[in-house]
Amino acid sequence: MQYVTGIDDHRTSTGLDNRKLLMWAFLGSDVMFFGTLIGTHLIYRNRSLSGPQEEILSIPITTVSTFVLLMSSLAMVLALAAIQRGNMGGFRFWTVVVAVFGSIFIGFQMFEFAEFAHLGLTPRTNLFGSTFLVMTGFHGAHVTVGILWMWSLVFASFKGKIHQGNALQVEIAGLYWHFVDIVWIVIFGVVYLIGAYGAENRALESVEHAARAASLI
Amino acid sequence: MAANIGILRRPVSTAGVWGWITTVDHKRIGILYGVTAFVFFLIGGIEALLMRVQLAQPDSEFVDAGTFNALFTMHGTTMVFMVVMPAGAAFFNFLVPLMIGARDVAFPRLNALSYWLFLFGAILMNFSFFKAAFPDVGWFGYAPLTTTPYTLSSSTDYWVLGLQVMGIGTTAAGFNFVITILNLRAPGMTLMRMPLFTWMTLIVSFLIIFAFPPLTIALTLLLFDRFFGTNFFDTVGAGADPLLWQHLFWIFGHPEVYILILPAMGIVSDILPTFSRKPLFGYTTVVFAGAVIAFLGFGVWAHHMFTTGLGAWATAAFAGATMAIGVPTGVKIFNWLATLWGGSLQFKTPLLFALGFISMFMLGGLSGVMHAAVPVDTQQQDTYFIVAHFHYVLFGGSIFGLTAGIYYWFPKMTGRMLSERLGKVHFWVMLIGFNMAFMPMHVLGVLGMPRRIYTYSADQNWAGLNLFVSVGAFVIAVSILLLIINVLRSVRKGEKAGMNPWAASTLEWAIPSPPPHYNFAVIPTVRSLHPLWDEEANAVEPPPLPAHGEPHMPSPSYWPIVVAFGVTMVCGGLLIWQASTWLGLAVIAVSGFIGMRGVYGWVFEPVAAEEHAEHAEHPERAPAHHA
Amino acid sequence: MAAESAHHEEHNHPGPRQYIVIGAILAGLTLIEFGVFYLQLDPALMTWIILVLSTSKFMLVVGYFMHLKFDDLRFSALFFSPFVIMITIAAVLMALFFNLTR
Ligand code: HEM
Ligand SMILES: [Cu+2]
Repeated sequence: MQYVTGIDDHRTSTGLDNRKLLMWAFLGSDVMFFGTLIGTHLIYRNRSLSGPQEEILSIPITTVSTFVLLMSSLAMVLALAAIQRGNMGGFRFWTVVVAVFGSIFIGFQMFEFAEFAHLGLTPRTNLFGSTFLVMTGFHGAHVTVGILWMWSLVFASFKGKIHQGNALQVEIAGLYWHFVDIVWIVIFGVVYLIGAYGAENRALESVEHAARAASLI
Repeated sequence: MAANIGILRRPVSTAGVWGWITTVDHKRIGILYGVTAFVFFLIGGIEALLMRVQLAQPDSEFVDAGTFNALFTMHGTTMVFMVVMPAGAAFFNFLVPLMIGARDVAFPRLNALSYWLFLFGAILMNFSFFKAAFPDVGWFGYAPLTTTPYTLSSSTDYWVLGLQVMGIGTTAAGFNFVITILNLRAPGMTLMRMPLFTWMTLIVSFLIIFAFPPLTIALTLLLFDRFFGTNFFDTVGAGADPLLWQHLFWIFGHPEVYILILPAMGIVSDILPTFSRKPLFGYTTVVFAGAVIAFLGFGVWAHHMFTTGLGAWATAAFAGATMAIGVPTGVKIFNWLATLWGGSLQFKTPLLFALGFISMFMLGGLSGVMHAAVPVDTQQQDTYFIVAHFHYVLFGGSIFGLTAGIYYWFPKMTGRMLSERLGKVHFWVMLIGFNMAFMPMHVLGVLGMPRRIYTYSADQNWAGLNLFVSVGAFVIAVSILLLIINVLRSVRKGEKAGMNPWAASTLEWAIPSPPPHYNFAVIPTVRSLHPLWDEEANAVEPPPLPAHGEPHMPSPSYWPIVVAFGVTMVCGGLLIWQASTWLGLAVIAVSGFIGMRGVYGWVFEPVAAEEHAEHAEHPERAPAHHA
Repeated sequence: MAAESAHHEEHNHPGPRQYIVIGAILAGLTLIEFGVFYLQLDPALMTWIILVLSTSKFMLVVGYFMHLKFDDLRFSALFFSPFVIMITIAAVLMALFFNLTR
C-alpha cells in the first residue's frame, strides 16, 4: 500500500457532487413516498360508502392550476440558466416568478379544498376524502417548502451567499421544484383526468342503486 | 465568515459531556449508537425474560394478559428498531469511513442528527410507560386494531410517533451512507475493492431510503385516523379495507428484515477471510447476491399474508418469489463455507461467533423456506414455529453476527483486546442457551401453540417444553452478563491491541487503535481488495503527519441535537394536544420554532469554529464537510 | 475537473430558447389532455391516451428541466430504480384490491 500526500480532500470518488447526489437520492426516496400515497388513493377508488367522490373534481380549474405549476418549472430552469451565466437580475426575477406561481398554485388548492368542504367533502367524510385530501395535501406541503426555499435563495443572493460560483445551490433547489412538478403531472393525469372520467355516471348509478335498494325494503 | 451566527456559537471543545453532545465525529457517533443499542438490548431482554417467566408454567398469573401484550409489543419493537438497527448503525458509523479511507462521513452533522432522532424517538416511545402504559398492539401495529375504536389508550400514539421520529433519523442516516460510500472512497478504492461490510452497508442504506417511506406513510395515515378522524382504516363506518395496513407495513417489513440481517452478513464476510487466512471465496458473487436479495426483497411482502386469502394466483406468485429469494441467500452460505474450506483456521472468538452465525442463520433460513410453501404456512402462521423462525434469523443471525463484530472490532474501537477465554465461554453459553430457548419452539409450534398468548392450560401438554425454553432464556441472559463483564474488564485492563491484532487485510487496520480523530494522517491509495495483505511490508507503521499538521476536521455543532429536540417535541406536542388543546398547540409552536431556528442555524453555520480563512475563501470546496 | 465539466455543459445543454419551447410543448400536451377528457371515448382508450400524454410530460420535465438527459447516468439510475419498484408494487396492489388475482 502506498500513501500519497497532498490529496485534495474535497474530490469525490464518482466526480459527482455530494449535495447533488444527496438530492437525487432524496428524490428517489420521495418517489416511494408519493408512490405509496397515490397507490393508496388508487386502491380505494370507488369504495366510499357515502358522500361525494371523483365527480366533484373540477377539471377546468385544475387544468389551469396545472398550467401554472408547469410554467413555474419553466421559470425555474430560466432562473438557473440566468445564474449560470452570471445574470443575477435574471436569476432573482425568475426565482420570484417561481415562488409566485407556486403560491398561486397553493391558492388554487386552498380554493379547491374550501370548495370541497362546502360540497360536503372533508378528510373525515369518506375514503375518497381521506386519500385524496391527504395525498394532495402532502403535495401542497412539498410545494410550500419549495416556495420558502425560493425566497431563501433570493434573500441569500442579496447577502452575496448565492452567486454564479455556487449556482449548484440553485440547481439543487430546482431539482426539488421540478420533482414536485412531475408528481403533480402524475396526480393530474391519473387522479384527476382518469379518475374523474365518467365519474358522474358512476355517481348517478350509485344513487339509483341506493334508491332501488331502498325501494326493495 | 466569523462564528457569530446567533445565540449558539460553533463549539470548539471536544472534551467532556458537551464534547459528546455536540460531536460530529463518526467514531464517537458510532460509539453512542452502540452503547444506546446495548442499553435497549438489556431493556428488551428483561421484557423477554418476564414473558418467559410467565410462560414457564401453565395457568401462570405472574403477569396478566394486558401486561403480556405490552411486553411482547415493546420487546419486538425494541429489538428491531432500538437494538439491531442501531447496532448495525454503530458499525456503519465507526467502520465505513475507516474501511474506505475517508476522514468522516459525507454529512457529519446530519449523522449526529440521525443519532439524536433515534435516541429521542426511542425515549418518546418508552415514555408512554410513565404516561399511560406500554403500547400493546404488536410490533407490526396491525390496523384496524390500532385505530381509536379498538385501542383508546394513548400508548398507541406514543408507538406511532416514536417510530416516526426514529424513522426520520434512520432515513437520514441511509442517505448519508449512500453518499459517503459512493463519494468518499480513497483513491484506488473502486467499488469492487470495498470490504464486504461496506458493500452490505451500501445495500442496507438503499433499502432504508426506499423501504422507509411506505412505513412513514402507513404511520402517518394511522396517525391521521387516530388524531383527525380520517377513514383510512375505518373498516366499519367507512368501508376501509382491513388489509391496507398489512400491505403497507409488510412492503416496508420485508425489506426491513434484510436491513436487519445484511450488516451481520457483511461482518461475517469480513471476519471469515481474516481467520481462514485466505480471501473470501467468490467476492463478486457475494456482493451480487446481496444486491439481488435487496431487490427481490421488495417483491415478497405478501408471504406475511398468505392466510388472508389473496387469491390463488397472487399466493402462488408470492410463494415462488419467496422461495427464489432463498437462492441468493444459499449462495452466500456456500461462499462462506468455501472460504473456510482449506483455510488455516484460527478459532478466535470472532470466528466462533461467525460460525455460530452461519449455522444458526441457516437453520432460520430453512424454516423460512418451509413456510414459503403456502399449505405449510397455513398450518404454521401465528404459531411458535414462526417465533422460532424469526429468532433463528434475528438472534442466531443478526445478534450472533453483530457479536462477532464486537469481538473483532473492539480492539480497533478501544485499543484493547477482549479476553479470549471469557469470549469463548460467552460463545458456548450463548450458543447452548440460544438453542435451548428457540429449538423447542419449532416443536411447540407444530403442536399448535399460538404466538402472543399469555398463558395456556396444563392439559395442552406444552408445559415441559415451555419450562425448558424459559431456562434457555436465562442461560442466554447469563451469556450476556459474561459479555458485559468481559467488556468492562477489558476496556481498562485488556491487553493492548496495536494497529492490526488479527493481521487482517482491510484499511481500518492500517491506522492506530483507537484511531485519531482525523483517521488517516495521509489518505491511502488502494491497489487491491486486500491492501494490508498484498503489500504488508508498507503497512507496519502509519505514515507520520504531513508537515502542515493535523488535517482540518469539521468543528462540533449544537444544531443537530437542537433540531432533533424540536422535531421530537412537535410530536410530544401532538400527544399533549389530545389532553389539552391549547397547551399542545403551544408546545407544537414553540418546538416547531426551535426546530426551524435549528435548521437555519445549521445552514448558515461556518464549517469550523475559528475563522477558517481557507474554507471561507472557497465556499464551493467546503461542503463535503459542511452539511 | 470543474472547468472541464462547465465546458462540457456549454455545448450540450439546452439554453433558454429550448426551455421555452419545452414549456410550450408541456402546455400544449396539458391542453390536449384537457380536450381528451371531454371526448366521449372508451374509458380504457382514454386511460391509455392520458397515460401516454402524462408520461411524455413527465419525461420532458425530467429529461430537460432536470437535465437528466444530459447528466450523469448514475443520477438516472438512482432516480428510476425506486420508480420501477414503486410502479410494480402499485400495480400488484391494484391487481389485488380489484380482485384480479382470484
Ligand atoms: C431464506 C430467507 C427467508 C424466508 C424464505 C423467510 C420466510 C418467511 C415467511 C414466509 C414468514 C411469514 C410466516 C408467517 O407469519 O406465517 C416469515 C416471517 C418472519 N421472518 Fe422470515 N424469511 C427469511 C429470512 C428472514 C430473515 C433474514 C429475517 C430477519 C433477519 C426474517 C425475519 C422474519 C420475521 C421477523 C418474521 C415474523 C414477522 C411477524 O409476523 O411478526 N426472515 N419469514
Ligand atoms: Cu418476510
